[in-house]
Amino acid sequence: MSEQSTTPRIAMRGISKNYGGVRAIRQAELTVQPGTVHALVGENGAGKSTLIKILAGAEQPDTGTIEFDGKAVSITSTTDAIKLGVQTVYQEPQLFPELSITENIFIGREIKRGPRVDWAAQAAQIHELLDMIGLPHKLATAPVGDLSIAQQQQVSIAKAVAGEASILILDEPSAILTDTEISVLFSIVRRLTERGVAVIYITHRLDELFEIADTVTVMRDGETLDTYAIQDLTVTKIAELMVGGIVTEKREVRSFDDVVPTLELHNVDVGQLLRGIDLQIRPGEILGLYGLLGSGVAEIAEAVYGMKQPTGGHMLYQGKRMVNKGPAAARRRGITLVPANRSAQGVFSFQSIRFNISIGDLAKLSPLKGWINRRREREIALDLIKRLGVKTPNENQPISAMSGGNAQKVVIARQLLSTPKLLILAEPTQGVDVGAKEEIHRLIGHLAESGTAVLVVTTDLAEVLRISDRVLVVREGKIAAEFGTDATQVDILAAASGAISTRNES
Amino acid sequence: MSTNLESRSPATDGTPAPRKILPSLVTGQEGVLIGIIAVLWILLGLLTPAFLTSGSILPLLVAVAPIALIGVGMTFIIITAGIDVSVAAAIMVTAVITSQTMVATGIPLIPAVLLSIGVGALLGLVNGLLVAYGKIHAIIITFGTANVFQFIGLRFFGSSTVNGLPDTFDVFGRGEAGRTLGIPHSFAITLLVVAVAWWYLRHAASGRHLFAIGGNENAARLAGIKVKPLVLMTYVITGALVGLAACFFIGQGTSTLEQSVGAGRELLVIAAVVIGGTSILGGRGTVFGTLLGAILVQTVTSGVTQLGWPSQLSDLFVGVAIIAAVGTDILRERSRRKS
Amino acid sequence: MTTTALKNNEVGHRQENLGYRAVRMLLTQRIALLGLLIVVVLAIMTSLDFAGALSGSYDADYLAAALISAVPLAMLGLAQLMVILSGRGGIDLSVGAMVSLCGIVFGYSYGIWDLGLFPAILITAVAGVLCGALNGFLVAYMGFPPLIATLATFYALKSLALIVSGQKPISTLQIQDFFSAAQSVEIPVIGHSLPDVPLGIFTFLIPTALLAWVLLNRTTFGRRLYALGTNDVAAIWAGVDTRANRMLAYVLSGLISGLVAIVIVAQFASARPDAGVSGNGLALPAITIAVLGGVAITGGIGRVSGILLATLLIVWLNAGILLAFAGNEGTQLQLLALGLLLIGASLLNNVTRKKFGVLH
Repeated sequence: MSEQSTTPRIAMRGISKNYGGVRAIRQAELTVQPGTVHALVGENGAGKSTLIKILAGAEQPDTGTIEFDGKAVSITSTTDAIKLGVQTVYQEPQLFPELSITENIFIGREIKRGPRVDWAAQAAQIHELLDMIGLPHKLATAPVGDLSIAQQQQVSIAKAVAGEASILILDEPSAILTDTEISVLFSIVRRLTERGVAVIYITHRLDELFEIADTVTVMRDGETLDTYAIQDLTVTKIAELMVGGIVTEKREVRSFDDVVPTLELHNVDVGQLLRGIDLQIRPGEILGLYGLLGSGVAEIAEAVYGMKQPTGGHMLYQGKRMVNKGPAAARRRGITLVPANRSAQGVFSFQSIRFNISIGDLAKLSPLKGWINRRREREIALDLIKRLGVKTPNENQPISAMSGGNAQKVVIARQLLSTPKLLILAEPTQGVDVGAKEEIHRLIGHLAESGTAVLVVTTDLAEVLRISDRVLVVREGKIAAEFGTDATQVDILAAASGAISTRNES
Repeated sequence: MSTNLESRSPATDGTPAPRKILPSLVTGQEGVLIGIIAVLWILLGLLTPAFLTSGSILPLLVAVAPIALIGVGMTFIIITAGIDVSVAAAIMVTAVITSQTMVATGIPLIPAVLLSIGVGALLGLVNGLLVAYGKIHAIIITFGTANVFQFIGLRFFGSSTVNGLPDTFDVFGRGEAGRTLGIPHSFAITLLVVAVAWWYLRHAASGRHLFAIGGNENAARLAGIKVKPLVLMTYVITGALVGLAACFFIGQGTSTLEQSVGAGRELLVIAAVVIGGTSILGGRGTVFGTLLGAILVQTVTSGVTQLGWPSQLSDLFVGVAIIAAVGTDILRERSRRKS
Repeated sequence: MTTTALKNNEVGHRQENLGYRAVRMLLTQRIALLGLLIVVVLAIMTSLDFAGALSGSYDADYLAAALISAVPLAMLGLAQLMVILSGRGGIDLSVGAMVSLCGIVFGYSYGIWDLGLFPAILITAVAGVLCGALNGFLVAYMGFPPLIATLATFYALKSLALIVSGQKPISTLQIQDFFSAAQSVEIPVIGHSLPDVPLGIFTFLIPTALLAWVLLNRTTFGRRLYALGTNDVAAIWAGVDTRANRMLAYVLSGLISGLVAIVIVAQFASARPDAGVSGNGLALPAITIAVLGGVAITGGIGRVSGILLATLLIVWLNAGILLAFAGNEGTQLQLLALGLLLIGASLLNNVTRKKFGVLH
């Protein structure tokens, strides 16, 4: 970088943070120059979000110093951070759908004349902001609820910079955007840096760093490795830095060629999200699907499970055409799914473990249709609790009283009431402690050995390599690459983030 | 970033775009309601020539007044994603206290109105405190306070009606005393309140904050909006408007105040509000729509009577109107979200 | 569930003093609290009786007779239980209007067309099911907020009841004789030593309560209802047809309302077109009973036993108040008691949630 000599906008030095004895980050360093885009990359759990939370004042560091424009500052609250001009745009926009763009941007700090909102004064400022984020002026009075997700994100950015931002933190802003929307985002970011704003850009899509970033800081296991100028890097280099020297244990290569596939997808489309997906999975096989947020990988699972309807192509299940009108139809066929978002999609929070397990297949609870035999229910629940090693005094505990790992085992148990022919697991070990993670991986292995076809959708690199017989990498709605057991984390990460380009021009 | 940077957009320079800095004046639902009311009035005018005369329209407007008036407060509450089902009982309490005081002391108009408003605001304060600070769903709280208010009201009634009411409130009534230049006072006051509330919801910062609270309470709190005091305020305002509306009810009645005063009005008010396009889920609504909703409901009621149909039929139409109004609103929202 | 509760569970049988455990049980087990309140009411009223402060005797016969008002109240409380359990703001404001309309249907089919008792009951039940299906369709399939949908049907059905009946109650001879169905009877075998109990308890309330209990606790429908009321999204992912099951909750509410209509016709010996909507109507007391009985307005929590105990508490408290305070004052105080109990119970629910996690 040519401007390395200027005073950095922010310099965080020797930052460490522990959560109850667990080290989140250690001796982290982050120096960001004004007017530049500084990318922060690392795998999930590498410590990116903790570092950002400390900068935004949401967390206090245990050790370390922060300098702002050369002066030492202490940030003890979000208000402190906002006073310094630190603004964060999160993935989930915190907007009011019924209020206009103008109002959303000015909410809580309206320009007023007496009790009245000074619409004219706000309009004068808003037009400038709208130009900057590239939205037409006529949208100034449109309710935010009418906008697309991408436009809502633009409004969030405008809201952040309207508050006198000197540092703008963008947390995975591109994950939910299409290519054209991303280029709009980039032009906004460039306009901001021209005005001297320092932008901290968090992303998993490594390819886009070469379009937008000036410098890159890589984090791994709670440490900041180093800061590089973008010219000195390639996607593969970044991927190598991110995963480090982890040696993946070689899995034995198993062959499944001689049986009818449990599931085949032929040229399946789901709206604009998935295009022309082909895949097959055979009994006993563990197929890993890896893709970044927004790549369409989640939609593959949803299409198979009947949550989303394919708009093109067809699916074969055990060699026959399959259409699942909903999850119930899929489950009747022996296809079960562990959803990705445990608290929102998985658990019935204040109900018992027994309830949470048996809801997966109520027909199993009694030979009499529509009836529930409590003793049988109890036996089935206890059996699964034992098989999965759920730690609980009894089956009547509410699931909300359990740790993440135990709750996840219960949600998995729900899918195993009858041995499924195809088990789909989305993020099977997110928010789960190491021990339970180990056990869940072993369980997946056992299920596969007993003949269940297992589809694992995950954003955890180590996991996908560790348990899969084959890995498909999904990128921009298409299968970008396929790997066997000999793949490395770098290969997969590079394929998912665009080093192996499947598109000609963008 | 500072906002005093020069604008570099070519779009602003050349085009003389109209500087539209506010949302449109009339919402879709209001437009539809105006259309429906116009069609109904024309049809009724054609079918019963007596309908479009002052002898028929003026009592209609007088009857609309208290419903629309309470509806203004209810709109505020529902915009914040709350509800108040205690207004019927609150009408009874304020009406009985005010009328007994008038009978006993003969206090003149202004103090009587102020007394009624004050009592109403106090009842609203009870609701508001429990809802805003008790963290209990508004419908439960106001079901509870409805019972308590009824008890209070009935205690004041004792075992009889309030008899021999003075003519103080005739200025709000149906008769000649209730009109100036042919305009019923009660309706004029209601229009004034609707106008002020409309201005408040549209232009005042705290009025806009009510929408934010109903849309996303947590985000509103994070944006620095004082959620609890504002929620409290909506219930106090509703209580005060109930007090004023009680004066209208007294003025529209006979010289006897029955124990049944106000009964069933809470649902009628809510019906007017939702027909007017206010979302029961919060975050969206207008007081003008509520006024139109109240007029529509009253038009149906008067129309049914004037056509010589059984008066009970009007409730059927009210039910259908609610389903039609909310149904079209749901469909419109769905298509809006899709596009 | 708060962390406090989590710790309590994980530490297990840590030494706690008896008082703390008793308080926790009363707060977390709504059944225990209601049971205690009933005992308190009975004790206070009985001692007032001994002290001669009551205008009549508060004895077993009186309490048994008072149960007549428990029949419609508890049944409609069960109707609200079904719909509130279904979550997403589930509530049924239209029960009173359904009772009115179904009462008229019964009046016609039994009292005027003279179709015989069982066909008449069947037709009335079907009418209730149809009314409930209308609510269920609007809520589950059209996406109406339950409050709005049932407010609309409240108005529409109330109006229909009045129009269909020509605003006149039906009280033909058959209907007048049907009054016997509401009379008190001696319980067979053991009854001679016990007070006579209103017949409706056996013919309507107990069967309905049993049926509701079986449905909620022993059938897959009950499971699905609790599931979708607890977490609608998770229910969809678990393969539950949320729309059909939610609709069924409203249908059941309609069915129960139809049965209540028959009970009320018997009690008044007349099918009145405003039976369910006069005065405060029937919806408000029914919702009050449900909340008092520990049903969470957000869905997924609530039990049949809570409804029954809450009804007993209200009915016996009201009966006591009537003896303690003469005339109007008594009926007025009943309102105060109902309101305060409702506010108190919901404030208590909050304390419980904060301190002990979830209510059972």
